[in-house]
Amino acid sequence: MNPQPLLNNPILQRELTSRLRSPNALIALAIVALVSCGLVLMRWPAEASIDLVSQGSIQVFRPVTYAIAIAIMMLSPAFPATAIVSERKKGTLVLMLNSPTPPWMVYVGKLLANVLLGVLLFSVSLPAIFACYAMGGISITGHILPLLMVFLGMAFQYSALGLWVSSRSQSIDASLRWTYSILLFLVVLSIGPSVLVGKLSGIYAWIAQALTTLSPIPALQQITGALGQSKSIGISTGWVEYLIMCAVSTIGLAIATLYKLHPNMMDRARDAGKVIEAKESSWFRRISYLVDPNRRKSGIPFWLNPVMVKEFRTRKFGRLHWLLRLIAVGAVVSILLTVVAATGTVNWGVDRIASSMVLMQIGFLLLLGPSLGANLIASEVESGGWQLMRASPISPWRILTGKLMSTFLTLLLLLFATLPGYVMMSYIQPAIGGQVSNVIISLLIATAMVTILSACVSAYSKTSAAATAGSYAVLLLLFAGTLLIWLGRGNPFGPVFVERALLINPAATALAEMKAPGFETFQLIPKGWYVGLAICAAGLIVLILRIARLTRPE
Amino acid sequence: MSDTVVETKNLTKTYGAFTALNDLSIHVNRGQILGFIGPNGAGKTTTIKILVGLSKPTSGSATIAGVDCSQNASKIKQLVGYMPDKFGSYDNMRVHEYLDFFGAIFGIPGKARKARIQEVMETTNTTYMQDRYVESLSHGMQQRVGIARTLLHNPEVLILDEPANGLDPKARIEMRQLLLQLAAQGKTLIVTSHILPELSRICNVVAIVTAGKLRAFGSVDEVMSSLCPQRSYEVQVANAEHVGSAERVLREVLSETEPLTSSPAELTLRFPTVRTEAELADLLHKLVAAKIPVTQFRELTSDLEDAFLSVAGKD
Repeated sequence: MNPQPLLNNPILQRELTSRLRSPNALIALAIVALVSCGLVLMRWPAEASIDLVSQGSIQVFRPVTYAIAIAIMMLSPAFPATAIVSERKKGTLVLMLNSPTPPWMVYVGKLLANVLLGVLLFSVSLPAIFACYAMGGISITGHILPLLMVFLGMAFQYSALGLWVSSRSQSIDASLRWTYSILLFLVVLSIGPSVLVGKLSGIYAWIAQALTTLSPIPALQQITGALGQSKSIGISTGWVEYLIMCAVSTIGLAIATLYKLHPNMMDRARDAGKVIEAKESSWFRRISYLVDPNRRKSGIPFWLNPVMVKEFRTRKFGRLHWLLRLIAVGAVVSILLTVVAATGTVNWGVDRIASSMVLMQIGFLLLLGPSLGANLIASEVESGGWQLMRASPISPWRILTGKLMSTFLTLLLLLFATLPGYVMMSYIQPAIGGQVSNVIISLLIATAMVTILSACVSAYSKTSAAATAGSYAVLLLLFAGTLLIWLGRGNPFGPVFVERALLINPAATALAEMKAPGFETFQLIPKGWYVGLAICAAGLIVLILRIARLTRPE
Repeated sequence: MSDTVVETKNLTKTYGAFTALNDLSIHVNRGQILGFIGPNGAGKTTTIKILVGLSKPTSGSATIAGVDCSQNASKIKQLVGYMPDKFGSYDNMRVHEYLDFFGAIFGIPGKARKARIQEVMETTNTTYMQDRYVESLSHGMQQRVGIARTLLHNPEVLILDEPANGLDPKARIEMRQLLLQLAAQGKTLIVTSHILPELSRICNVVAIVTAGKLRAFGSVDEVMSSLCPQRSYEVQVANAEHVGSAERVLREVLSETEPLTSSPAELTLRFPTVRTEAELADLLHKLVAAKIPVTQFRELTSDLEDAFLSVAGKD
């Protein structure tokens, strides 16, 4: 195949150059290079000898691998998730689709630009990877090549996923949220059935194993020599299966996106705005009327902050019917986890189940928090609504509290949804009541932190897409970055350094309180709370100053 | 008591070395419509932002109903209804919810707000779209909702930035009628627009700014006579061979300050002049006496566009 037409693709050239010109891309590349090289430097042997079966190099290779994998997971889908929907909103997509450039060229241009960026992302860590190779115990064919292929597969799969979601979404915000939700499923939840329901057999066992091939975790564990850990939790797939699944899913997503990438996609009727009146409804409607998105809303009562109500009403996801669905899912999963433990389906103790619940809650927080928080100010400025609010007599403080509360309350509701699981856990083991309270306090601090930090990013961003991507990056750096340091505990990081790093992560505080595996030795309460509250207070001060600046006359 | 509602005195705004607004002094009386005209970057939006309290002047003053715009911004926000050129829509929000939200942030209490929303929707003829999502409305509909939003807190002054921009002819006529109706209710309006014939039909007062400076201010007639003192005349002859002879006759009479242009294809000759009606009658007499078959001798009407171009062309 002649690569010339592909390289001459104007979409590819435009997308790639515009991304590479962005300072954010340079910052991301620099961070990945610094983190990966820093990890290696810390472990570089002092004596001039090479160990052919070095465990030390594997211990460095592993965190480097996971750091790059997290960077690809977080950054690869961000731009494709906004690529099509933002072009449609700006009106440039219709111009492209009505040009002689066929839709598949538009798609390939967008996909390849993003994949090349992903390649660049893991290329900057090659010096670190080859340094591990130089330390011994790592081979090119057994470790490095499979690893690079897995990274390439991830870049393809997540870019294709982002583009597919983007082609189906009505807003940038929704596209980002759905992309990251599906990513969470692909990476973490897909291995859930195998891990939790290890006793399955026949077709169910096969489906559970097939699902694990969607996640890069088993592949990375195989490459980094942690296959034993995978097998111990019931996973038997590796990197070859992952690459096959990557190819299949990427092709499937590409076909589905191309099917949507047609001038007809702009040909949508305007919403007539159907409204349901309570009186004219059937009995079923009346029962569900409270959460019906089409019900007629009453006026904003005087005792509620109008900005908060507006925030709830303007986001599809924040509306009551959506929240109730999420709360129901949260409650059911938390109870299921506890029931699974109590009935002995898996031989996990209460500590492990509680850890899973904490991780699920943090997963919810990190999934929803950044996109909710990031849209608080950036999208208001983008839509022109901020100018209108500035021209109204409402005070900056009310704007700020209304916006923050709209996100905080949403996340709080989600957090409380998992309380039934904790209640059941306390019933099984009454002695852990105190620990549960401490975990809930830690999660409350995590909620405040997610809300405030994402709002801070939003207040300094020019577009909602940049704010959302920035919020995800900052919060993942905080939550997942510190867990990476925890992964390198003992080697290369000492216990004191790891404990200090974990203090800024309220999820780690909660996990340590529940004595989760690997966290038993850390005593993070109350210091972790003080650090978390200090971060929240600092973020709040920054936010107040920024809002004051944005609302005062020029 | 003076009837002046909006007044700026020597208003100046600089951004570093750049002067966005230079010594602007205008005043608008109650119930008047001011057409604020200028090319892009002339300082219109800067003036509007100062009047609305979103920007502070470097020097000079701006007052609305006697309230200083930079000293008492919170009071100004109650006195002014501001519609920026960008609509400011929210996703998943219906027109009624949208107006309810803005009513709430302007502090209108519940029951009064409900009644007021009905009232402004009737005024702006938007009642039928109250359940529609704001972002799904056409541009013309959004402009109407935008005006409804500015009317919610019953302000004395409405400042509308490009309200007719992007509207189809029917929507433009409706918008014009709406603005006249609001002025008839005693509202004072400041309207910016690039569609100058549109403005000349509704404005009592016109201000032309270019490069931050006020070039003309007054009623449409005053501005026209100050910026376009010369009238343009057109002579049409019966056939092409008489265009040359007509040109010769006219050149004998016209001075250098009255440049003559001829178009044999159109059978016309045009010239600007400040001559009186009697002098023009004499000119026509000479043409007829020279046996030139004149079919038309008429004044070409100047409009606001000519006035604006006469100023804008100098920059």
